[in-house]
Formats: sequence, structure tokens, C-alpha cells
Amino acid sequence: MNDYKAIMIGGSAGSFQVVSRIIAALPANYPLPILMCLHRLKHIRSGFVEALSIKSKLPIIEPHDKEPLKAGRIYLAPANYHMYIELGNRFSLSTEDVVNHSRPSIDLSFFSASYNFKKKLVGIILSGANKDGALGLKSVTDNGGLTIVQDPKECQVPTMTTASMNATKVDYVFSTKQIIDFLLKLA
Amino acid sequence: MVTNEDAARLITAIKTSSTYDFTDYSDKSFCRRIEKILLDNNMDLNQLIHKIGKDKDFLEQMVKDITVNTTELFRNPEMWQTLRYHILPKFKKNRSIFIWHAGCSSGQEIYSMLILLNELGMFDQAKVFATDINTDMLEAAKAGQYKYRFNLGYLDNFDKVIKENPFNFEDKVDVPYEKYFDIDKVKDTIQMKPFLREKAVFRKHDLVKDGNVFYSKFDLIFCRNVIIYFNNKLQSRVIDMFNSSLNRDGYLILGSHESILGASANNFERSKGFYKKKQM
Ligand SMILES: C[S@@+](CC[C@H](N)C(=O)[O-])C[C@H]1O[C@@H](n2cnc3c(N)ncnc32)[C@H](O)[C@@H]1O
Repeated sequence: MNDYKAIMIGGSAGSFQVVSRIIAALPANYPLPILMCLHRLKHIRSGFVEALSIKSKLPIIEPHDKEPLKAGRIYLAPANYHMYIELGNRFSLSTEDVVNHSRPSIDLSFFSASYNFKKKLVGIILSGANKDGALGLKSVTDNGGLTIVQDPKECQVPTMTTASMNATKVDYVFSTKQIIDFLLKLA
Repeated sequence: MVTNEDAARLITAIKTSSTYDFTDYSDKSFCRRIEKILLDNNMDLNQLIHKIGKDKDFLEQMVKDITVNTTELFRNPEMWQTLRYHILPKFKKNRSIFIWHAGCSSGQEIYSMLILLNELGMFDQAKVFATDINTDMLEAAKAGQYKYRFNLGYLDNFDKVIKENPFNFEDKVDVPYEKYFDIDKVKDTIQMKPFLREKAVFRKHDLVKDGNVFYSKFDLIFCRNVIIYFNNKLQSRVIDMFNSSLNRDGYLILGSHESILGASANNFERSKGFYKKKQM
């Protein structure tokens, strides 16, 4: 099996439930770093980490600029910053303009992660109301990584998943349950 | 895509034709900005290098386009709440309080501070200096006029910091916006009041090459969301310059997701995102 180095998940505010289910299912010794780029509602900027942490056995961190990435942690793009992974596995943040009305932009996070991890990256797109993430997922495929989208049938708002499936040939279309099983198998 | 080698060539060309030096900007973010500039001007790198060699105005404009200027009124309200309830009260009894906003962009951070100072009855004792490398931003900051509809979030932030007390939910004060700015929905503007606009001293300043140019030390230095665009080496140099420009008991305030790396961190005590100068 391909030894993956990181998992990146993109979704919007509406995918909060799915994200908490996924996080809750991961054991405390989960060996891969999980990078999450989620759009947030404008007025709920804080409290997100706290809400997710209640369910999680792994530490959830909003990384600082230039912080090194470590295994066994869940990283969440901070509100109002774009989050990039640089060569040498460090985070970098910027407040450059919004992309597809979004900051953090899922596309930008995926571009940098897929460039950095190449075929060692698993990219997952969840439910969302915006096409941000579609080109990002395509860059995961183009760099040889593995791609998963949440089954649009399961999504309240399938814009993001459908756009991703139109942008690139995805490896798997999975239900939340299947995503969890897959992630557990990678461990 | 703009490679690091491309960026290095461009940086050399800029250095040759101006006083700007982007050598120690963080490479990835610099490359992204250059990609955007090439795209917007429909040029390739050679054309760009050629053009900046003979067109000074174009070069100045390009430098402005390299900088990232996004900002907000009361950006990151939690920081302003900490400032209000934990930091500023310590300075209240001082005869004066010296404040420097380095990388002030279009001024929202300055106006946030001035409004807060006024609410705390500390407006008159404050001496406020504001700098940026980008003169268009300094002009915008002096004008103190912002779009209204695009920036409705400013009002939410204002309410959180000025009207509410996060430590006591019953403590609510009604401060009308017109005390500090006029909203014109037809013109779609938020206009800061003259007494705020006249307060700060503005000056062009390049953190890469200029030190403390104010012949005074500071109690608070704001440098938020500026050093994320610098590499570790330049970050440390700038932080050390701030350290030597701070008064005893002074604070350096960085962006909510920035931190001081390496040995420079030893000069500060960190609490709640504020860096207090250590007594040595
Ligand atoms: C993202 S804005 C931050 C504005 C504000 N401090 C805030 O956090 O909301 C960054 C600012 O830093 C300025 N800047 C970039 N490089 C600089 C330098 N070498 N010297 C001074 N200012 C610089 C840019 O022009 C820009 O206005």
C-alpha cells in the first residue's frame, strides 16, 4: 500500500457534523496528520476548535505561521487566513484576497499540499455550497495523490462535491461511514 | 509558475533600480504575488524585468502590488478585548503612551485603537505613529474612508469590542457608531470622524531597511500580519528592532497566528498573544 504522509479535508460550514463524526472515530494514536480547510460562517469565527475538540481524541490545532507539521494532530485552517503547506513540512499563512469568496480557500490549501506531498497525499472533499476545492482536488490527482469525495446523495449541499467530480476523475465516492473506515485502514 | 530562480532574478532587478529589497520575503508568498502581477499585466518575467529597469513609476506600482493589504476594523476582536481589559489599564496612569502601528495598511487598525483609547479616556495621553511601505495605503489610512456594504463585519466587530463585555454579559453600553464614524448607505461609505483622522502621525517606512525613526520608544508596537510575508531571518531582525524600540514594560502585538521564532523569543514573555518585553 502507498504510505501516505498526510490527509487533507475540505468542506464548508455545513459539513461540521460530518467532520465531527470523522474526528470522533479516529484513535488517539492515529499516525497521520490531518489537515482541514473548512469554510466558516462569517459570524462564527471562534469556538470552532473548542466544539470539534470535545469529540476528538487527537489535539486540534489552528497552526501558526511557519509552525512545523507533526503527525498525530489535526490542523484546522484558522479563520480569515489562507493555509499553505510549504516544502519542509511547515505551515505558512497569508491574508491574501479571498478566492471563490473564501478565506481560507480550499483550492489554495490543496494546491500547496499536493505540490508538497505529491502522491503521498489523500484529498477528501465533503459537502459544501461553493465550488472552491474542485480545482484543488484536481491538483491532488494531477500530482498522483488519492482523491475521495463524500457521496453527493449524502450531502445537504452537493455543489462542492459535484464540482470536484466534474473537475477530476476521483478515486472514490464514499459515504461518511466509508470515509471513516478508509481512514482507519490507513493507520 | 514563478520559480525561486525567477523570483531571485526579479529581486536583483528591483534592488538594482530602487531601494527595495525583497530578498528576505518568504519565497512562496512572493512568487504567488509575482504570478498575479504577470497575469494582471499580461507579461512574462523577462518583459517585467525589462520594464522595471526603465519605468520607475511602474516599479513603484509593482512594489505596491507585491504587498498584501487586507485588514479590518477591530480585526480579531478577542485581541482587542484583551487589550481593553488586561493591557491598556496598566498604562492608564502614565502621562503619555506611545504607540506604533508598523504595517498599518489602510488604517483600520489605527482607528480601532483610537476608538478604544477614547472609550477608556486615554485618547489625549496617546501619541500614535503609523507606518507602511505602501504610500497608497498611507493615503487611504489618512482619508479614513471605507466601503460600507462590503465591510458590514466591521460593525459586528465594533459591537463585540466596544459595546459588549466578554467578562460580564450584563455589562452592555450603547455607543452610537456616529460617535466615531458616519455611515452613508447611498454613497456606500464609512467615514471616520476628523478628530480621529487628525490624531496619528503617518510616515512611509520600510521594515527591511529602516529602524526606529521616531526618536522615541514605544509602550505598544503593533505589527500584525506583516511578518508572515517575511522569512525567519528577516522576522528575527525586525523583532529585535522592535525589542530595542520598546519601553520597559512595553508590549509587541503580532497577528493572531504569528509567533516569534528562534532566539529573539527569549526577549519576551508571552501571554494571550501579547509579547511583553522582558527586563534584562
Ligand atoms: C496584511 S496588512 C496588515 C494590516 C494590519 N496590520 C492588520 O493586521 O490588519 C500588511 C501590511 O504590511 C505592509 N508591508 C509589507 N512589507 C512591508 C515592509 N517591508 N515595511 C513596512 N510595511 C510593509 C503592507 O504594505 C501591508 O499594508
